[in-house]
Amino acid sequence: MNPAFETEALSWYEGSARQRVAALVDPGSFHEVVGPEERATSPHLALFDLPEQFDDGMIVGSATLDGAEVLVAAQEGRFMGGAVGEVHGAKLVGLLRAAKALRRDVLILFDTGGVRLQEANAGETAIAEIMRALIEARGSGSRVVGLVGGRSGCYGGGGLIAGCCSALIVTEQGRISVTGPEVIETNRGVEEFDSRDRALVWRTMGGKHRYLLGGADAFVDDGPGAFRAAVQAILAKPERLDLATLDAEQARLERRLVRFGTASDAVAVWSILGVKDAPGVPGLSTQAFHAIATCRESADDAR
Amino acid sequence: MRDWATQGSARAARIAAGAPFARGKVVALSDLAPFLEAVLRPGDRVCLEGDNQKQADVLADALAEVDPGVIHDLHMVQSGIVLPSHLDVFEKGIARRLDYSYSGPQAARIARMLYGGQIALGAVHTYLELFARYFIDLTPQVALIAAVSADRDGNLYTGPNTEDTPTVVEATSFKDGLVVAQVGQIVDRVPRVDIPGDRVHFVVDAGKPFYVEPLFTRDPAAITETQILTAMLAIKGLYAPYGIRRLNHGIGFNTAAIELLLPTYGEALGLRGQICTHWALNPHPTLIPAIEAGWVEQIHCFGSEVGMDDYIAARPDIYFTGSDGSLRSNRAFCQTAGLYACDLFIGSTLQIDLSGHSSTVTTNRIAGFGGAPNMGSDPRGRRHPSEPWLKAGAEADPDTPAPLRRGRKLVVQIGETFGDANVPLFVERLDALALAEKLDLPLAPVMVYGDDVTHIVTEEGIANLLLCRNVDEREQAIRGVAGYTEIGRRRDAGMVARLRERGVIRRPEDLGIDPLDADRSLLAARSIKDLALSSSGLYRPPSQFRNW
Repeated sequence: MNPAFETEALSWYEGSARQRVAALVDPGSFHEVVGPEERATSPHLALFDLPEQFDDGMIVGSATLDGAEVLVAAQEGRFMGGAVGEVHGAKLVGLLRAAKALRRDVLILFDTGGVRLQEANAGETAIAEIMRALIEARGSGSRVVGLVGGRSGCYGGGGLIAGCCSALIVTEQGRISVTGPEVIETNRGVEEFDSRDRALVWRTMGGKHRYLLGGADAFVDDGPGAFRAAVQAILAKPERLDLATLDAEQARLERRLVRFGTASDAVAVWSILGVKDAPGVPGLSTQAFHAIATCRESADDAR
Repeated sequence: MRDWATQGSARAARIAAGAPFARGKVVALSDLAPFLEAVLRPGDRVCLEGDNQKQADVLADALAEVDPGVIHDLHMVQSGIVLPSHLDVFEKGIARRLDYSYSGPQAARIARMLYGGQIALGAVHTYLELFARYFIDLTPQVALIAAVSADRDGNLYTGPNTEDTPTVVEATSFKDGLVVAQVGQIVDRVPRVDIPGDRVHFVVDAGKPFYVEPLFTRDPAAITETQILTAMLAIKGLYAPYGIRRLNHGIGFNTAAIELLLPTYGEALGLRGQICTHWALNPHPTLIPAIEAGWVEQIHCFGSEVGMDDYIAARPDIYFTGSDGSLRSNRAFCQTAGLYACDLFIGSTLQIDLSGHSSTVTTNRIAGFGGAPNMGSDPRGRRHPSEPWLKAGAEADPDTPAPLRRGRKLVVQIGETFGDANVPLFVERLDALALAEKLDLPLAPVMVYGDDVTHIVTEEGIANLLLCRNVDEREQAIRGVAGYTEIGRRRDAGMVARLRERGVIRRPEDLGIDPLDADRSLLAARSIKDLALSSSGLYRPPSQFRNW
């Protein structure tokens, strides 16, 4: 038996979107809608002589998680870096609208570099529609949980959508940001940000830093079991999206600017947070990291 | 009466000219360019130390700053054209002639400058070949070398990255040449003496370590399933049947996959202790899991590798280490070891033609040779027998009586039929031939000659060229593993089928390998972090490889 097909042994970072979904939810419970057999492909890519994919890099459907009904969306980072195009985006909009109608919780398995450049207008519009649908679903009581641990990270419009979620779960390899390393370097120079210095990229945008800053709510190991446990813990709590929560988050972000505004590197931020051996943070195991992360900031359901 | 000691007098004159810039042997960094103008002479043969790993970078920059009105027409005899300053000296007219070995990072610029006539090229060599010429007809008059530290007498500590230094100093200093070393620091006592001070005439405190490129670090995260399949074929179809214990690996991802499959796939095949025990190899991080699992007995190294020093120092039974506990590498000795004492070389290439010639030259890039042609050739001077060598010899020449039959070193080319950016590996005609015509070279820069290649491994199978009895069979054996490239599609299907019956071509299924088993979960480490963990934290990956 090949260990890759034993789903609990799956590396989230290395897995495909379909492998992640299958490994996360109750076995056999996933029912895809607008699946590849319907061949809802991008109407734009052919103009650029680029290959299409029958699911357009987005997999949506319903499943059960420990018996509870949930809706699931997963981006395929192996297809155009999980970039958001017209069909890709529309499938997520539809899922979020269904969540509102069905009062169902939603899991979004992010793996994206942002909007697909070849269909930029449609992609940008899709991001806006997704954010609106996401907030409306949350307003009606659905919880929307983002899972970030894929190779492409969660960048661009994906970072904006993640910012609207009820909660985010991230791994060490997971990255969350809006502007990507290469774009920063191109626009501001290598002195500002060396995109090839991977240690710099990860300590600035990676899971550990996002968790310590309150940009993510759970930090987990790179496997479906760890993600599942974190999802269940988050879904055990009620959705809170009210003015008081948002006011508190606004105050926290203002405070954050004062507290960390002069730090020029993530290591300085961790020192200010009170981590004793800040340069040693990237080397810590998950367990050791949780032990020192008690000093982290928390967004308390609103980000 | 002839003066029999002109070279010694010339060196004395150079030392006298340099002395005003020095206190004892130590020259200040700020005086480096005028110092070089004082000790160099126009037309000198100069060895500027630098290969595919370590670089005398401070001396290289200073040499590029000297006044071409004073110092010009130098003849550079050096292993590597790697730093921009290595070519700046030609652009500025400081140097004119060049004999070298490797030019990976400057491959495009050196091609442009050769086409433009800015460099008068002697030849492109293998490392060992260039070292040999240092002692015959390319002896340097001045060597500019790099070390970790020096004491005030000029004793040098070259540390884990000793590499070419002993060879360069031997050839220069004992033929009355001048040796100038850049060091990271001046100390009272060096940790070990790699180069005795009486061979070193001046020392420059660069105030920082010399540059080292982490060239031999391959991120397991980038290994594809096709590469894993080729690695499975190599282990089960070559290493196991020939019983390969002594070997050298190239730096590609296919060979990194082999290293990472030993503790998993190799273990399942029961091959531990049977194969891959003795190596001529740089300290590849991807070999850590196999070392930790008890596969490896010993390794001799050409150079070191960034981040591996603590791991090596903690595994002295495996590596060659000095009295200070750190690695002692030596490129000349390791190249010799790879040539004479290894039974197999396996590496990747960019182009293979129908005769089996291979080359990494494309018309716009001249990467040089480095050590591959030396590793990847059959040593005609070898006389000691070994099982794989005799077996390969018998396959190639079944009719000669065994006592008079030469053995054969296994020289294996491994790769995917379509490489980076879907460029086919197999070609009708090597780009190296077009380059030779364009530059009017008497020799095309062929990395490994077809008559040295014994096997070609692709995802489609293994072609055993030892078993081919004529050029037609050889051509069809190559076409038979060339997949859907143009070369592969023009195969003679009937002849390929007959070659397969004879075992000249072996498909994965002929070896009991299911391509669907080629999965990344077979890798003993799937990321750089896994490698660091499997070294118990002793391997410290450089920043550019750390995605955490």
